[in-house]
Amino acid sequence: MKPLSLAWRFARRELRGGLRGFRIFLACLALGVAVIAAIGTVRASIENGLSSQGAVILGGDAEMEFTYRFADDDTRAWMARRATAVSEIAEFRSMAVVGEDRALTQVKAVDDLYPLIGTVELEPSMPLEQALAGAGGVPGAVMQLALSARLGLQHGDIFQLGTQDFRLMADIVLEPDAAASGFTIGPRTLVATQALQSSGLLSPGTLFETKYRMDLPESTELEVISQQAQDQFGDMGMRWSDARNGAPGITRFVERLGSFLILVGLSGLAVGGVGVSAAVRAYLATKTSTIAILRTLGADRSTIFLTYFLQIGALALLGIAIGLVIGGLGPVLLGPLIAAQLPFPADFSLSLPALAEAAIYGGLTAFIFTLWPLARAERIRAAALFRDAFAGRNSLPAPRYLLATALALALLVGSAAWFSGSAELTLWSAAGLAGALAVLLLAAVVLGAVARRSTRLVRGRPALRWALSAIGTARDGATPVVLSLGLGLTVLAAIGQIDGNMRRAIGDNLPDRAPSYFFVDIQRDQMPAFSERITEDPAVSKMESAPMLRGVVTKINGLPAKEVAGDHWVVRGDRGISYAGKQPEGTDVVAGQWWAEDYSGPPQISFAAEEAEELGLELGDTMTLNILGREMTATITSLRAVDFSSAGMGFVLVLNEAALAAAPHSFIATVYSDEQAEAQILRDLGRDMPNVTAIRVRDAIERVSEVLRQIASATAYGAAATLLTGFLVLLGTAAAGEPARRYEAALLKTLGASRGRILGSFALRSVILGAGAGLVALGAGTAGAWAVNTYVFEISYQVIWPNALAIIAGGVLATLLAGLVFAWQPLASRPAGQLRSRE
Amino acid sequence: MTMQTTAPILRLQEASLSLNGNTGVVDILHQIDLEVTAGETLGLIGPSGSGKSSLLMVMGGLEQASGGTITALGQDLTAMNEDALARFRRDHMGVVFQSFHLIPTMTALENVATPLELAGHADAFERAQAELEAVGLGARAGHFPAQLSGGEQQRVALARAVAPRPDILLADEPTGNLDEANGRAIMDLLFDLRDRHGATLIMVTHAPELAARCDRVVHLRDGRLDLAATQKAAE
Repeated sequence: MKPLSLAWRFARRELRGGLRGFRIFLACLALGVAVIAAIGTVRASIENGLSSQGAVILGGDAEMEFTYRFADDDTRAWMARRATAVSEIAEFRSMAVVGEDRALTQVKAVDDLYPLIGTVELEPSMPLEQALAGAGGVPGAVMQLALSARLGLQHGDIFQLGTQDFRLMADIVLEPDAAASGFTIGPRTLVATQALQSSGLLSPGTLFETKYRMDLPESTELEVISQQAQDQFGDMGMRWSDARNGAPGITRFVERLGSFLILVGLSGLAVGGVGVSAAVRAYLATKTSTIAILRTLGADRSTIFLTYFLQIGALALLGIAIGLVIGGLGPVLLGPLIAAQLPFPADFSLSLPALAEAAIYGGLTAFIFTLWPLARAERIRAAALFRDAFAGRNSLPAPRYLLATALALALLVGSAAWFSGSAELTLWSAAGLAGALAVLLLAAVVLGAVARRSTRLVRGRPALRWALSAIGTARDGATPVVLSLGLGLTVLAAIGQIDGNMRRAIGDNLPDRAPSYFFVDIQRDQMPAFSERITEDPAVSKMESAPMLRGVVTKINGLPAKEVAGDHWVVRGDRGISYAGKQPEGTDVVAGQWWAEDYSGPPQISFAAEEAEELGLELGDTMTLNILGREMTATITSLRAVDFSSAGMGFVLVLNEAALAAAPHSFIATVYSDEQAEAQILRDLGRDMPNVTAIRVRDAIERVSEVLRQIASATAYGAAATLLTGFLVLLGTAAAGEPARRYEAALLKTLGASRGRILGSFALRSVILGAGAGLVALGAGTAGAWAVNTYVFEISYQVIWPNALAIIAGGVLATLLAGLVFAWQPLASRPAGQLRSRE
Repeated sequence: MTMQTTAPILRLQEASLSLNGNTGVVDILHQIDLEVTAGETLGLIGPSGSGKSSLLMVMGGLEQASGGTITALGQDLTAMNEDALARFRRDHMGVVFQSFHLIPTMTALENVATPLELAGHADAFERAQAELEAVGLGARAGHFPAQLSGGEQQRVALARAVAPRPDILLADEPTGNLDEANGRAIMDLLFDLRDRHGATLIMVTHAPELAARCDRVVHLRDGRLDLAATQKAAE
């Protein structure tokens, strides 16, 4: 009989004993796999939704986007030749004004064809065309309820955009292409482009973007037409999107957040692995005599190993299957609820790649964490039947098992890197996880040693002494608790500290340094009056202004920018560009020289020093910029230190005045003023310069911090799953330790200890261990948070105490709960029975 | 009772056993020299702690001797590793314990079939069933150990030990955990099986009436052969 089939027969017989002793094993594995499968399924569902609804999200089969300008005649002709319909949209920020009240809005000016795909739903229900036509000779507009409520507008009321009156006709319930606009500040207002002719808001130099949505014949190959458009208009600042990926920003965000969360989920699986390993060890301990009998009957090592490997393998498959069912079906069943929370479409269905990814992680984790105990089991000798002859309990397994573990580990990290698409993120995560586990293990050993030594100091307090003695032992001691709870608490502590410090930086510190308002779209001829109004106001402490244009970096040293700089943010999309004659006050030139004030030679650039280093740029290098459809090549002649952290004015690219002054452009200004004076400034400017848009810095920052908060809470959910797995592991440890506690309680009762005192000792043990685990996790989490805040976000760090205390309290609560659940039986049982059973 | 005259099936030369205990190394057996002839029935007797069971385990390769040599069927057990010893037992030895040591997750039939399966017998279950019939437990084949009485469990253990037709049968106080009636029945069965299959039987026992049924009795005291007592018993 072949060894494998024989081992499988033995394994099947053993499995008839049922799942007793494997509940924690199954729960740990199932939970870890379920979390990863659920994250993967949600991610795949969103990606499916974005992909299948690409044309709806985009509002057409394809889109060409321009900054600051409308398409020229050549471009229009090119589109007309290829599309069956072309719809033109202009988007910009502006102020919606009602009397003296003003609010920032994201205006979308549309033509008659909008939307090419889908329908704009309004309340009260009416066709968009009818709503935008207006009433009583005043053009119509529709806006999001948040904006109309903020301005106190009722349907039929009049408001202004720039100098143009509009009548609010309805609220926007659904804007089919909303997701394609990406990250915006300010609620939406929809108007007809035609109605803006006299508003002054779409004049040359103002900040607006145009989008041309195309309805393409079915035979059109998007790949081909996309390439044609890039070839012809790519250098003119045109950006192409098509139905294959209607909202690339969202797709990228979902993909990255999903990958990151799966890595967080992997930490949960690693904690689960600790529980899986403990469960296998406990199970094999009960099988020592069976293994010894098999050895007596002639079973060799490989038969023993295979027998238990197949058993554990079968159970692991069961755990993984349970996890896949929960993690795969859960999001599908909850799909309608989840979809209602998402601002973009999602197609909830089972995703085989997501399930396969979770299954691979689950399988490899189970393999890695069970191989060593299994390898040790084969060392059990026949002599174990009559004496403790398990010599290999604490030694390393045979080299072939070490090699197999290393290979499985490499395979796990490799798979994670492949699935996440970011080897760097995966390696950092793996290193962080390994580092955290090492720190936790070390801390647990130290905690045990301290507890052992402390027993001498607490003589006369028996309950505390018993607790410390127990913590000092290997079995009931600190290691299982710190390892199982530590990782989840560490991640939660790190998230809490990072999030708390970010909020502190944004909420408390930034307003001290940041301006109150950004003003955009100030026309050149409005600048003197604007400056006068602001600088003469005693409540204003500072004002900065600069001309601003937007442009795309198309080439660096004559080579396509993407080739040189990859995906660096400076070459991604269009950037704000300014110009200056003399060196502006406060400019810190760190290399090269600022040009002469009246310089009118070939264009020169003063570039941000940090970004230059990241891009590998040096003085003398050239950059080709596309500004308003025209290309211009300039040489970098100086590098400046630019501080973006204060939310003040900072341009990566500043050109000499002569290079850009003739191009249509507007000015941007930052104003630092007392809060009380802000309303009056806004009123005055709104009256005198209705085209100027004011963006409240705090609103913009709050919008950003809202996104960060959502990422933090998504991560916290992942960490909570890790913590829950840790709690399960803890329950498993407590359950395994129950017989020992029963015996301990019986002995103490025999010696005269009351049940209250024994319970007190058990509780103290849990509290000390939980507090220890919490403290260790807090230390590790705080160190991680400090590093992230200091080196990644570059903000100052201080401990967020409420979160820190919550972490310690969480550790105490979890261990207390797990400990006490398994304390009742030992307390209730009578000593005689316990002591007899030990004889 | 007939003494066998053939060559030794088992030979111990200066066999010693030392184990690591909590208080250091403990010497269990001291330079034991012993020969067992094929077909012989040997009784090992002595006070508690004299090393009888340890000697039996050393003979079965269940315990690795610390010194000396143990030769069984011409093969040096002390030169074998754990897997080779396991295979040697599979092919040549059957062991019966005082505590039965049945595998709790297997039925009586599966327990008996296990050594046959390990030896690669395709008809393992048919043979196991026949062995159970032979010990009077054919009807209990599907029962798990926990569903059997002590006497029944020991009969299953006996069936398991003899099923592969071992050359040597080792029995460690096989009646120690049984009442008198069951003990007697098991001993009758053990000797009956030995007679039928012709195996060499080496048995540890406390019971004088059992020792009296053996061809030869060896006395142990403090891990050494008590030659005087052995000689006296022989007379």
